[in-house]
Amino acid sequence: MNAAEEDLSLVPPEPGEVGLVEPHDFVHAQPFTFESGQVLPGFTLRYETYGRLNAARDNTVVICHALSGDHHCAGIHALTDAKPGWWNNFIGPGKAIDTNHFSVLCANVLGGCQGSSGPSSIDPRTGRPFGLAFPFVTIRDMVRAQKLLCDHLGLSSLYAVVGGSMGGMQVLQWGIEYPSFVRRLIPLATTARESAQAIAFNEVGRQAIMQDLDWNRGDYPKGGGPRVGLAVARMMAHITYLSDESMDKKFGRRRTGAADNPAYTFDVQFEVESYLRHQGESFINRFDANSYLYISRALDHFDLPAAHGSLEQAFANVEAETLSVAFTSDWLFPPEQNREIVLALLRAGKRASYAELAMNLGHDSFLLESGELYTLVRSFLGSPRTP
Amino acid sequence: MNKLVEKRTVDMQIIGDWVEPGSRVLDLGCGRGVLLDYLQQTKQVRGLGVDLDFQKILGCVRRGVTAYQGDMEAFMRAFPDRFFDRVICSRTVQELTDPAAVILEALRVGRAVTVGFVNHGYWKNRADAFFRGRKPRNPVYTTEWFESRPANPVSIADFEHFCVAREITITRRALLRGDWKTPCPFRPNLFAGYALYDLTK
Repeated sequence: MNAAEEDLSLVPPEPGEVGLVEPHDFVHAQPFTFESGQVLPGFTLRYETYGRLNAARDNTVVICHALSGDHHCAGIHALTDAKPGWWNNFIGPGKAIDTNHFSVLCANVLGGCQGSSGPSSIDPRTGRPFGLAFPFVTIRDMVRAQKLLCDHLGLSSLYAVVGGSMGGMQVLQWGIEYPSFVRRLIPLATTARESAQAIAFNEVGRQAIMQDLDWNRGDYPKGGGPRVGLAVARMMAHITYLSDESMDKKFGRRRTGAADNPAYTFDVQFEVESYLRHQGESFINRFDANSYLYISRALDHFDLPAAHGSLEQAFANVEAETLSVAFTSDWLFPPEQNREIVLALLRAGKRASYAELAMNLGHDSFLLESGELYTLVRSFLGSPRTP
Repeated sequence: MNKLVEKRTVDMQIIGDWVEPGSRVLDLGCGRGVLLDYLQQTKQVRGLGVDLDFQKILGCVRRGVTAYQGDMEAFMRAFPDRFFDRVICSRTVQELTDPAAVILEALRVGRAVTVGFVNHGYWKNRADAFFRGRKPRNPVYTTEWFESRPANPVSIADFEHFCVAREITITRRALLRGDWKTPCPFRPNLFAGYALYDLTK
């Protein structure tokens, strides 16, 4: 707390881009038993990797995505792509997760709809989408499936596992499930126990989907289904990812369209309405409603203290060092819930650090470009042994 | 080595002498982790720092020191009795809003508590106030009053009075002259520039 402490400023190298990438499919052709006891004869995980695996095969950083994310976290699939992967500002040569040093691996979660096995996959027994016949998925199932992928790739250990929100839950589960396999954990904007408020929001989203007649108890053709329900679910969920302050800054009370827009109508009048409708619209074109039900349920069931007796007991075997980061404006997984993770790790005698960033974008702050977050993560990761 | 760095090092060396090798050490107001880094390297302690400021936590992480960003009292409340072998409160105590609460809580979670502070009873600090009529400024406290946090001008006499009043046992003390090197056995409240205490309860 003294005034004159030296400021070591770490000058990051000029960042580059991951560039063109392509997804791969890992087919696990053996039966997989879910935590629920239900069994699939096999499953597929779609994944991407960037950077080079070293000779010791121990420089992989696994990225875990959030509810609506996917395996495409950096780079582009084609030069004509409008947008790069969802964490492109974080991952790449010279970036916070430096692909000059690390091999990055990100898989679409089990139960997802971007190429991994999920309720929209074809059930070989019927030749139709699984729908509700797909087993219930938990965060632990997602992690166990990813471990099988790591084994398939012949990785000897993981340098780090990084993820925000639901990705952060997977990060914690990784450290618990495979203690000697993971050396660093970076859970961001997450929780060890889905709160009643978060379950409540998930339930409203699920109800929007299930009350849509086109849902038809999960039995709908590919590309069809409860489009209205899914869009409403997304609109509502999206609000929980933002904050009052950021919405006010971004939209305020600004109106859309022509000035002669009549005042007394239920058509879109405010920019925030138009934004949310756009969010809903674009979501239904890339996401499966049943996957949304399954994954949101997996979030609800995530409760480490209950699963292990206490959070300290949950972390009892963790060997990795943890860096947890929360964001002050995040009211979905607020700082207190992230602090509790670190306090429990410390009480369990583990190495863990906690930092908090004053960013106003709410829960989604973790996805925002932030020099402070990137410097912190880069410092925590340090430099691996030469590849 | 400039005077400030030299003074800081002396402080660290004494604390280093008091710390048991391999013990679990909590540093309240850890700054960028300089002290814990030193203790980790020389005494292989299992260190943990607490500070309010993100940049300080970043400094710790860079050094390989684990740190927690938050309020030190709230942090300590999350731990059982005697969880830490030693709690260090070095050059932080004068800035606390409720020093008694922090020190007592530190005595609960720590087997020993080390407190270090600049002695405001030191004659030069008295002279500063007497002749200049201004807030003391020295190589450690370089800031003007309007650039610094509120700080209590605590003296050795003040601190020892506090320990008696709260029935805190002083197990060890290092009272150093103005050079922060030479021991100061004679009238330390007047002639010691820096004081370090080891406490238990």
